[in-house]
Amino acid sequence: MSPTTQGGIVLVITLLMLLSGIPVAFGLGAIAVVFLVLFQGFDSLHVVAETFWSGLDDFTLVAIPMFVMMGAAIGSSPAGKDLYEALDRWLYRLPGGLVVSNLGACAIFAALTGSSPACCAAIGRMGIPEMRRRGYPDEVATGSICAGGTLGILIPPSITFILYGIATETSIGRLFIAGVMPGLLLTAMFIAWTVYKIWKSGFRSHEAGFRYSWKEKFTSVPKIAPFLLIVLGVMYSLYGGVATPSEAAGVGAALCLILAVVIYRLWKPHQIWQILRDTMRESVMILTIIAAAVLFGYMLTSLYLTQTLAQAIADLHANKWVLMFLINIFLLVCGFFIPPAAIILMTSPILLPIITAAGFDPVWFGVILTINMEIGLIHPPVGLNIYIVNAIAPDVPVTKVMWGTLPYVICMMLAIVILCFFPEIATWLPNTLMGPGK
Amino acid sequence: MDAYIRSVTFLSRVTGVAAALLIALAVLVICDIVVERYILNLTTIWQIDVVTYSIVGATFIGSPYVLMTRGHVNVEILPLHIGPRFRYWLALITALLALGFCIVLFVLCTQYWYQAYAEGWKSNTVWRARLWVPYLSMPIGLGLLVLQYFADVMSVATGRTPPFGIKPAEDAEELLRAQAKQALGDAS
Repeated sequence: MSPTTQGGIVLVITLLMLLSGIPVAFGLGAIAVVFLVLFQGFDSLHVVAETFWSGLDDFTLVAIPMFVMMGAAIGSSPAGKDLYEALDRWLYRLPGGLVVSNLGACAIFAALTGSSPACCAAIGRMGIPEMRRRGYPDEVATGSICAGGTLGILIPPSITFILYGIATETSIGRLFIAGVMPGLLLTAMFIAWTVYKIWKSGFRSHEAGFRYSWKEKFTSVPKIAPFLLIVLGVMYSLYGGVATPSEAAGVGAALCLILAVVIYRLWKPHQIWQILRDTMRESVMILTIIAAAVLFGYMLTSLYLTQTLAQAIADLHANKWVLMFLINIFLLVCGFFIPPAAIILMTSPILLPIITAAGFDPVWFGVILTINMEIGLIHPPVGLNIYIVNAIAPDVPVTKVMWGTLPYVICMMLAIVILCFFPEIATWLPNTLMGPGK
Repeated sequence: MDAYIRSVTFLSRVTGVAAALLIALAVLVICDIVVERYILNLTTIWQIDVVTYSIVGATFIGSPYVLMTRGHVNVEILPLHIGPRFRYWLALITALLALGFCIVLFVLCTQYWYQAYAEGWKSNTVWRARLWVPYLSMPIGLGLLVLQYFADVMSVATGRTPPFGIKPAEDAEELLRAQAKQALGDAS
């Protein structure tokens, strides 16, 4: 059987397997084992255990549970509420200040926790009622929170980037820093759209004589500042070359846990157990997929499927932008159904040779891929954020929330187009700070 | 049957706690690495190995707990949009497939562990760790994973739990709402 036919069979079976509802990790592993036996005989099985173990036996991967724990500690505390209040107290006088507070709080909180649903829940619970009370249209109040929650996977530290970095052997530090400007760009685009929308529909700010006192402003800072300092410290030690991502994230996790205990008094055993349990569940889930994806990738390369596919696409001599367009559509459709972690680990070893052969920068592509994943987070049929927002404001119909998120989906697509025309938005900062890439 | 499910559930909980503690241990040892390396300017010997093995070990040992609490992520789009009968059979078939993979992996990994034990393999790092110790997490974790998967298959087959955890009357939207409520609850 030719590698092309084999490739076709593997692709179709993989898609069917994933859609069947089997846990992604076990589905990928099962396919890898079955095809290794089918095409190479039972002898090929002797590498399975070693491949599975060595896929995980890597100090870089330790960064994942550490960042997850950082997020779990911050996410289980009321830090989101405090962050929102602090921003509102400082920014309430600006025109559209509430929007900036909301989306700003979303961007910061999502970056801190790395979890889009947790961010929607934490900021939305404060932000949505407040925006509606001040007369913002329902679809703006709900849509902006849905969209704001997704910013976290683009703004560092981001587990999506760690996974992409591991799957493609791209520098994680470089990816993190490449996400900063596109993350700010998207935040700015979201704010611009929201301000425009509420300016058109007319809104009121706080009552005319309303003022927060300086005391109120300053009392809001101390609760939030330590968390921000920790994250900034983690980022600084990463880029200053002081520590590796795993070391920086490990210390960050310990400090966030201590702060959650000290500032928010989460010292009861069940509260600490909840943080540990959430960390364990999420990390084990991701790490198991990583091990299975390594096995899956081993099967693909040992059957020459990756190489054949990359060669077949190179032989098409398609225009590289047509190719990029098609890859984006593919990722977007995947993102509607499949969780980001699984998509990245499965597709990036296949896509990377195609991307580099076409002359694209892998770091830049990591950013594009991540924005695609963000769209999937707020787009039906899954789009969990939509339902979280709906649970916060049950009287706003789901369809209205969906229409509300649509403009933000368009913003993200526009951001992808802008990044295609100006790749420097992603590549300039890492190249300047860390020297030109390979 | 119930006694079997209860005892597997208990074991999965115990290993779940052990896995969470291993991650906590990794955090502590990383703090030790940072203090020794960057503050005291000492070289670290065993720490990197301990951290890495703790996390890999936690992955294997925590897996049964994650399976039991439906934490191993799956694509729910097809199971949500089909009738209860088809969903029942699909749940059984996919669970048996996954169980088959787990059995194969358990057998292969146990052989691998035994080889490391019998031949006295050591790690390529400065510490020269005896590899059978961290490798032991594979037979333990995967063995219990097989038992837990078997319990899951039996629970679905005998109607103790609904297939894919989706209740018969529940449709796609209701399930998403339930998940959203849970996320909201977690964050409060």
